[in-house]
Amino acid sequence: MCNACGNPAVPGHWTDAGAATPGDRLRARFHRAGVLNAILRPYGLSAHDGGTVPGIQLSTLSGAQVIVPTLADVWSEAERLIGQPIDPLDPRYLDGD
Amino acid sequence: MAIDVIDGRIRLTILGGYLGSGKTTWLRHHLHVGTFGKDAHVIVNEAAETPVDDALLGSVTLLAGGCCCCAGKAALIAVLRRICDDRSRTGGTRFDRIVLETSGLADPGAIVAAIQGDPVLVNHIVLDETLVAVDALHGLAQLATEPLGRRQVGAADRLVLTKVDACAPADLDILRATLAVLNPGAEVSAAVLGDAADLPPLTKGTAPARLPTLPEDDSRGPIFPTEVHVADDLDWSSFALWLSALLHARGDNLVRVKGVIRTPAGRLLLQTVRKVVQSPEILPEQSDHRLDNKVVFIGRGYRPDHLEQSLHRFLGRPQPGAS
Repeated sequence: MCNACGNPAVPGHWTDAGAATPGDRLRARFHRAGVLNAILRPYGLSAHDGGTVPGIQLSTLSGAQVIVPTLADVWSEAERLIGQPIDPLDPRYLDGD
Repeated sequence: MAIDVIDGRIRLTILGGYLGSGKTTWLRHHLHVGTFGKDAHVIVNEAAETPVDDALLGSVTLLAGGCCCCAGKAALIAVLRRICDDRSRTGGTRFDRIVLETSGLADPGAIVAAIQGDPVLVNHIVLDETLVAVDALHGLAQLATEPLGRRQVGAADRLVLTKVDACAPADLDILRATLAVLNPGAEVSAAVLGDAADLPPLTKGTAPARLPTLPEDDSRGPIFPTEVHVADDLDWSSFALWLSALLHARGDNLVRVKGVIRTPAGRLLLQTVRKVVQSPEILPEQSDHRLDNKVVFIGRGYRPDHLEQSLHRFLGRPQPGAS
């Protein structure tokens, strides 16, 4: 990093950047796990983030479990389990016009 | 890059390069260390309506809402004429140098042709150098698939390889060998966050990548900018959920994502190039909030209005018609 122009980067994964305090971070993790769970449920997956250990726990309906470190890994692991990527531009998320 | 005014004309430096190749980072550093001297005027062109780069660079002339080699060409010519006009006037501001940062969708060759074809500008402005930033991480993939990337490299006097710290030495060698085939005359240097980096001698016998012939008309359709408004009550972690999923599924077609999002940690500058997300930077607070919570997506393979629909539905109603 150049100390002339400076580049104050936030450490950690980019998806965790929005929280400044430990409290915010924990709240954001719980909230994220809830929203993520709702997204994954139609695909037969569930997510759990207890807040105590780093990482997000993914489970399938048959009970297989895996802990992944970041959100980016959630999507690639979900693709592996489902057989195709979860695409936010899938017609199911778009108005049918 | 010493400033020596040979004749009375304004020296123009064009800074080009593909979307996300590191143009603004490079320019920001070089403006800070004063490479272009005190009397340089900076013009930044962005293809999207929502400018982001000027927030990083400070005082500049901004040309937003049209790439200056095509849709925004008239606006660029008008700005350059105004600068020349001002300079000729008594008491006007005299700039000796203009630095033009083009949009990532611009062909520097077309800009040079436009300036040289203008009867006024050709007498007032002399092209000093065309610099083209080449992303060491994604450069080869862009050259293999994007005709525009090849045109930009071909138009360069000097190629600046960016992000060389993140690239494996063997891959960097192949990229350098490939660039030497595409533009043998260009000087090649390297930079990390704008700061010059050493390039080791090219390993002997490195073969250039075999680039496929590309059709003139791209069947995948044009790359276009879309502005997505992020609702104020949408929190960062939800937005990050949607964006990370979108990048995972569509990253190859989302060439660039840029924007500023308000979070409890401050104003976060978000930037991605394909699937790679830069560590978000916290921008200083400012009274002008017009830029905040607007994100520009530059890509292809989707309908512009689908992005905002998807952002809403993916997070808000996650089970519509789920199988």
